[in-house]
Amino acid sequence: MEKNVLEWLERAADKYPDRVVYEDTEESITFRELLLEAERIGSALAVRGLSERPVAVMMGRGVHTIAAYLGIVYSGHAYAPIDRTQPSTRIEKILKLLNPEAVLCDEAPEISVDGAEILLYDEIKEHEILQEELERIRHEATDISPLYIIFTSGSSGRPKGVITAHHALMNYIRAYAGMMEIDSSDILCSQSPLDYIAAIRDIYVPLLKGCRTFLSPKEYFMQPGVLFGMMNEKRITCIGWSTSALSVLSRLGAFREGKPEYLKKVCFSGSVMPGRVLREWQEALPEALFVNQYGPTEVTASCTYYRIDHRVEDTESIPAGVPYDNYKVFLLSDDGGRVSPGDTGEICVAGSGLALGYYNDEERTKAAFVQNPLNKVYNEMIYRTGDMGSFRQDGMLEFHGRRDRQIKHMGHRVELDEIECAAMAAEGVAEAAAVYDPVNETIRLFYSGEAVLKDVVVEMRRSLPGFMVPRKVKKLDMLPRLANGKTDLEKLKGLT
Amino acid sequence: MREKVMEILTDLRPDVEFETEKALVSDNVLESFDIIELISRLNNEFDIEISPKELTAVNFDSADAITGLVERLVAEEEE
Repeated sequence: MEKNVLEWLERAADKYPDRVVYEDTEESITFRELLLEAERIGSALAVRGLSERPVAVMMGRGVHTIAAYLGIVYSGHAYAPIDRTQPSTRIEKILKLLNPEAVLCDEAPEISVDGAEILLYDEIKEHEILQEELERIRHEATDISPLYIIFTSGSSGRPKGVITAHHALMNYIRAYAGMMEIDSSDILCSQSPLDYIAAIRDIYVPLLKGCRTFLSPKEYFMQPGVLFGMMNEKRITCIGWSTSALSVLSRLGAFREGKPEYLKKVCFSGSVMPGRVLREWQEALPEALFVNQYGPTEVTASCTYYRIDHRVEDTESIPAGVPYDNYKVFLLSDDGGRVSPGDTGEICVAGSGLALGYYNDEERTKAAFVQNPLNKVYNEMIYRTGDMGSFRQDGMLEFHGRRDRQIKHMGHRVELDEIECAAMAAEGVAEAAAVYDPVNETIRLFYSGEAVLKDVVVEMRRSLPGFMVPRKVKKLDMLPRLANGKTDLEKLKGLT
Repeated sequence: MREKVMEILTDLRPDVEFETEKALVSDNVLESFDIIELISRLNNEFDIEISPKELTAVNFDSADAITGLVERLVAEEEE
């Protein structure tokens, strides 16, 4: 039985040693080179002695970053990718929560990392391979050993580190690659940042299937001609992108002057796909397979999928679909009971795909990863997504928004109160309230107080990643209130 | 014209120093949804239509480049 994702790498390196596995705009790496590089990094880390603590990675968007992840896996640690372009206060928060063994960087970081050793990639990448030590580490690992920690937005400004084991990752990747019918001839194009959950497809599908991933630079997604030109040059056949990436390209008029000629398989996830956007893609690529996916980071990227089997209408809502192989998806009522057929309830997930919880955060882990309240007879861990949904008669899950104030924006789950916390940190802000306009995909912020608008925006930039900073900010004399004293968010949504 | 472009840019992203920034797209200073909003405002303000082939780093990396693009498109509209 396969129990470690490195078995996929070793098998692929044996079968396709000289085939390119990852490529960026500057260089490429073959399966064999990747294997050797990962073993060298793993050996360099292993000689430092093991603790249970993870190793953080702060590197750019390139092929060696993935080699670094896999090297850390060889050393028996979980890797924790951190976007080094986000504000330093947020990086510091994450590092404090993580308390890493070491931080692996491609250049010396400007932030302080208390108690962790800074390791420069170039200085350890040539390390001698210690085969016996790597074997010993592998022998001690199980399929529930942690693989990675990926950070998502958390309420009250505390990011959550979702920690996931080998078996959950392998479970999802197998299901995804099978459903998308990916084989060794496919060429994938990665849109997701490497520190974000969606990148696990681009990283691990090639190891399982022997295919290749091209890492597209982020700025190409603002330049449709450049993006499609690259996709045609690289003969990209398969993508798994955020819904908003597809929607941005459609809004930029990308198909007016070209299209990705070789693209045959398109999967999208992260937010609800508007019918008119999907229709435009379907018309541009009439032969391609289109698949909608649904699920949070906590169930390893996705738990349901829907293979679209017809040309959709502009106003059609696209269902979340049916559970992936080896996922159990069901609904719970507000009081934790069963939901009648057709009724709406909280979407809950069980099975091998569940994460191990939130790293170093017992309180939030216990609130979301719980015993199935319908099962009184044995331990059955479920994840409560906080998403609301219902099942159609044909078994398709439909998504109906959130129980709380979390939103999905540009493919990321964002807690609106994390944004409010960041705004409140600006001097002279008395109150702040964030609302989301899903039609225009815009986060809006209203505040009261003495602060001038620019200072509020600059302050938010200091602690939030760019996509979370509201693009519409308005100062009010005071925020509207409900009778119970809470901010009237519905009224704010109606303000222009 | 440059003044109006600057006004739109500053309103869109009050935190960016558009007078000195020279890699708005190349360095990902602007996000893709900033570009969508920017194009829609430029199209409306100057009564032009920025086509997808104009969406390149060269045309959008600085306030001067954006002004240059707008001037060219306005001139083409008038022809």
